Amino acid sequence: MKESLLEILCCPLDKHDLELEDAEYEENEVVSGTLICTECGERYPIEDGIPNLLPPDMREGTPA
Amino acid sequence: MGILENKARARLFYKYLSRVYDRINPFVWTEEMRADALTLLDFSDDPTVLDVGCGTGFATEGLLEHVEEVYAIDQSEHQLEQAYAKFGKRGPVHFHRGDAERLPFATDAFDVVWSSGSIEYWPDPVRTLREFRRVLKPGGQVLVVGPNTPDDPIARRLADAMMLFYDEYEADRMFKTAGFEEVRHAFMGPSYSPEVAITTVARAPE
Repeated sequence: MKESLLEILCCPLDKHDLELEDAEYEENEVVSGTLICTECGERYPIEDGIPNLLPPDMREGTPA
Repeated sequence: MGILENKARARLFYKYLSRVYDRINPFVWTEEMRADALTLLDFSDDPTVLDVGCGTGFATEGLLEHVEEVYAIDQSEHQLEQAYAKFGKRGPVHFHRGDAERLPFATDAFDVVWSSGSIEYWPDPVRTLREFRRVLKPGGQVLVVGPNTPDDPIARRLADAMMLFYDEYEADRMFKTAGFEEVRHAFMGPSYSPEVAITTVARAPE
């Protein structure tokens, strides 16, 4: 993802802004890192450049 | 509640279905239907477009005939893998994994929100439509394609057991309850089943 896209993203739970941490870049793309909600602190991983913004209850390994 | 209206079940279903989805899909949701649906939207002024439940990217491909880039979101990694193969992970489509009902996008971010073949899996369609309205700019356009209620009562019972189906009256109620205006519906389908899909377009209030 492009770092500029952060402006359009928010926490899916409380809609507050996200902060990027531990970012690794390739050319102009963020390829890995963590998006952290500035309000609730929930963490969302960036996996091979794709932000995984699934709420925690819908992530893999979460019982339905 | 239909058996696929549960996100975990839908996820499992798509994990297996994604392998054959684009081969099955054209029978119920064809390129011609996609083109018809696209004519219902106004793409002037280079709109910012979001495709919710993009899946394998079938509709995304159509949207890219009208705009340079598309924001896309889907819950299923397995469906998205097919879309990555078509467009690349760093091409004209900005991919996100996420939930339609709890979108990770800022308020007033988009001019157009499109969703085809996704509403039938939403546990609470009105809540999800409200979320679409939130991310749309005032006056922004929404377009949702879903399965129309079959006329035949036995087919209807089978259909309802599987997932959500709805007619234009129910669609009208859902979109208006979610706060949309200028709600219009169109029926689409292949020649052997011309009303298999219901497409609703509406606008967020100014």
